[in-house]
Amino acid sequence: MLMERMILTKEDLAKYPFLREAAEYVEDLGLKVEDLDDFAYEQVINRAEERVQEAILYAIITKRSYNNDVEILSFPIAILIISTIGDNFLKRRYALAEAKRAYNLLKLENEEKILIMAKNFNWIISFNDKGVIEGLPYKFSIHFINYLKNATSIKGEKWKLINRILIEGNVPLMKGEVARLLAEEVRRYVEKKLDVKELPNLPMGLARRVEMLRALFTREEGKASLEEVPKAVVTSAFPPCVRASYEMTLLGKHIPHVSRFTLTSFLINVGVPVDKVIDLFRNLSDFNERMTRYQVEHIAGERGSRVRYIPPKCSTLRTYGVCVNVDEICKVVQHPLSYYKKKLQLK
Amino acid sequence: MGDLSSLSRTLEFIKGKFAEYYERASSKLKPPSSLERRELGFSLFEGGIIRHKRFTSLDGLTSTLKALAPSDVYYSCAYYERPDATMEEKGWLGADLTFDIDADRIRTACEKAHDSWVCTSCGAAGRGVAPGACPTCNGSKFEETTWLCDVCLEPAKAEVLKLLEFLVDDLGLSEDDIDVYFSGHRGYHVHVESDVVRGLDAEARREVVDYVMGIGLDIRLHGFEIRGTRRPRVVSCPKLDDVGWRGRLAKGVYEFLSIATRESLEGIGLRDKVIDIILAQRDQLLKGWGLLKGVDVNGWRRIAKKGAELRSANVDPVVTTDVHRLIRLAGTLHGKTALRKVKAPLSGIEGFDPLKEAVAFERGEVTIFVYEAPEFRLGERTYGPFKEKMVELPTAAALILLCKGVAIVR
Repeated sequence: MLMERMILTKEDLAKYPFLREAAEYVEDLGLKVEDLDDFAYEQVINRAEERVQEAILYAIITKRSYNNDVEILSFPIAILIISTIGDNFLKRRYALAEAKRAYNLLKLENEEKILIMAKNFNWIISFNDKGVIEGLPYKFSIHFINYLKNATSIKGEKWKLINRILIEGNVPLMKGEVARLLAEEVRRYVEKKLDVKELPNLPMGLARRVEMLRALFTREEGKASLEEVPKAVVTSAFPPCVRASYEMTLLGKHIPHVSRFTLTSFLINVGVPVDKVIDLFRNLSDFNERMTRYQVEHIAGERGSRVRYIPPKCSTLRTYGVCVNVDEICKVVQHPLSYYKKKLQLK
Repeated sequence: MGDLSSLSRTLEFIKGKFAEYYERASSKLKPPSSLERRELGFSLFEGGIIRHKRFTSLDGLTSTLKALAPSDVYYSCAYYERPDATMEEKGWLGADLTFDIDADRIRTACEKAHDSWVCTSCGAAGRGVAPGACPTCNGSKFEETTWLCDVCLEPAKAEVLKLLEFLVDDLGLSEDDIDVYFSGHRGYHVHVESDVVRGLDAEARREVVDYVMGIGLDIRLHGFEIRGTRRPRVVSCPKLDDVGWRGRLAKGVYEFLSIATRESLEGIGLRDKVIDIILAQRDQLLKGWGLLKGVDVNGWRRIAKKGAELRSANVDPVVTTDVHRLIRLAGTLHGKTALRKVKAPLSGIEGFDPLKEAVAFERGEVTIFVYEAPEFRLGERTYGPFKEKMVELPTAAALILLCKGVAIVR
């Protein structure tokens, strides 16, 4: 088939520097990290810096160099910069910014190019022979495994598998939708790329630029954290699901395991101290201080893996039947903690 | 119930029978695929659980079963690099996709006859499923006794059939990769073992659960559309022969409306005016299928919800989404019944008789003292009801009562 033989141009690699072919191209150039201060790479370093700056400031990369080599090479260097700064939040933000950039470009591509891109990520995808379903151009058909891997992190009812047509394992999709899923694949791919185990020593000039970018990031992050949750606990701002579990527990009634986990992790995350949470469960007829303390401290991250757990998100609570008395705020949030913050703002 | 010595004699007896079973049957036991990658776990009659065990050969597993005679045997649906390491260090490699259909989740009329509850705080007791709050002391924790019975297991089978349709027709999974088992107590397990599903993360599995349970359906994305701008509004429905959830919704709505009464329509919260419209136009709607003037999207949403309920498969969401889950190993005994977990044929599951196929003890008789037990069937025979009585029963029937704790060996 013609499209299988279609070769990616250098411009394609510049647009999509995360492609396997782009990585191979860079490798063939035999670039060495210690040479990066060399004037020959000035433009490349500038462009890499710009990628990182835009990611920090706007969480999207919009600008573009029309020099294909600069565009291709700046990507692995930006990866190197972010990995060196090393902050996990920044890594996620950068991956997101690259994904948004890719999405804006992918939307404009023709169907053959989209298919090649998807196959580059080993998707099981083909052109849909039916083509049009109910008047809409479902030009593609992709396997539900590839669909789920990416669609679960996209918000919105229309991305839920149950709201899709699903025939013998395949999900018919429109071009724009495939592009959106591909962007998600890019995001995960870039995130993985940023998980570098051994970092090389950077030459002086580049190292200095990395420090500037680190400072920029710290400054921006400081602004964001000012909007964090306030200290006082406002019971009346609890979401309906948590409130129901909370009231049941106050009455000394037993609630299902998932509800109890949701309630405990919620309380911990809005700032209720461990001892106060334990007290709440004292009313239960089979209260056992030692067991309860162990579990609550575990959820608070004071034991075991040292990870503080957060409550499950709304869609998970729906699956487990914990979601009750949905109200207007519920309709615009995806997480019980977001509900809490939102309701506090409205008060 | 009973003095200590007869209780321990009873436990000793049950354990002896389990050991005897594993002595006799372990050569026929089929290990899970990739045994060396699975975590094995055992519940003991003496109390307690042994977990994080790894076996590299069937021989190793069977000799452990003979020696331990555990009340229950489990294996992980997950594959691990190091199945015997701690949870954090196991190295998850993937997991089978598993579903648990439990008769306890499905209400039947006969539970009043054979299930009972006792409030743990005040001792009040009653028949059927435990109430939300104790009528005497308002407590909320109960000891529940459920029974295994034909009538309860039949609807579970219907859920299995609906689930299989989802797995094969919608998800496109191969029948060769799907196995259905009777759990040995009150339900069915459906296992999918395939490269296709192995790598699915918990989030993706949750989407699969939502899909088969009908959670999060948005009817406007499934062919319910407002036609035109004139009032009364006309909403078009998906067609009966549409694929996937559309066809399912259409069929479910058809089924619901064809038998709906004024009461059942009121029950889903429809306004009187809307109910009048539906009842007046019903015959026409069912014959021509499609348009119903005067029912808006909100009304349809309520009707469709009912239709979706009829067509969705009632599985336990926790089991499917847990990618580390331990599940009962096929061919081993259930500690509450001494029945085997047995495979049910994929085609012809309708004719499968769990209370015959799962019987693990075909020979011998035992005399036991039964405190109280409702009537029950095993194989071709029906036993009971019994009350405070010494009876001689075939081993399998006696073991059910002993395992359930309603009888003792004197």
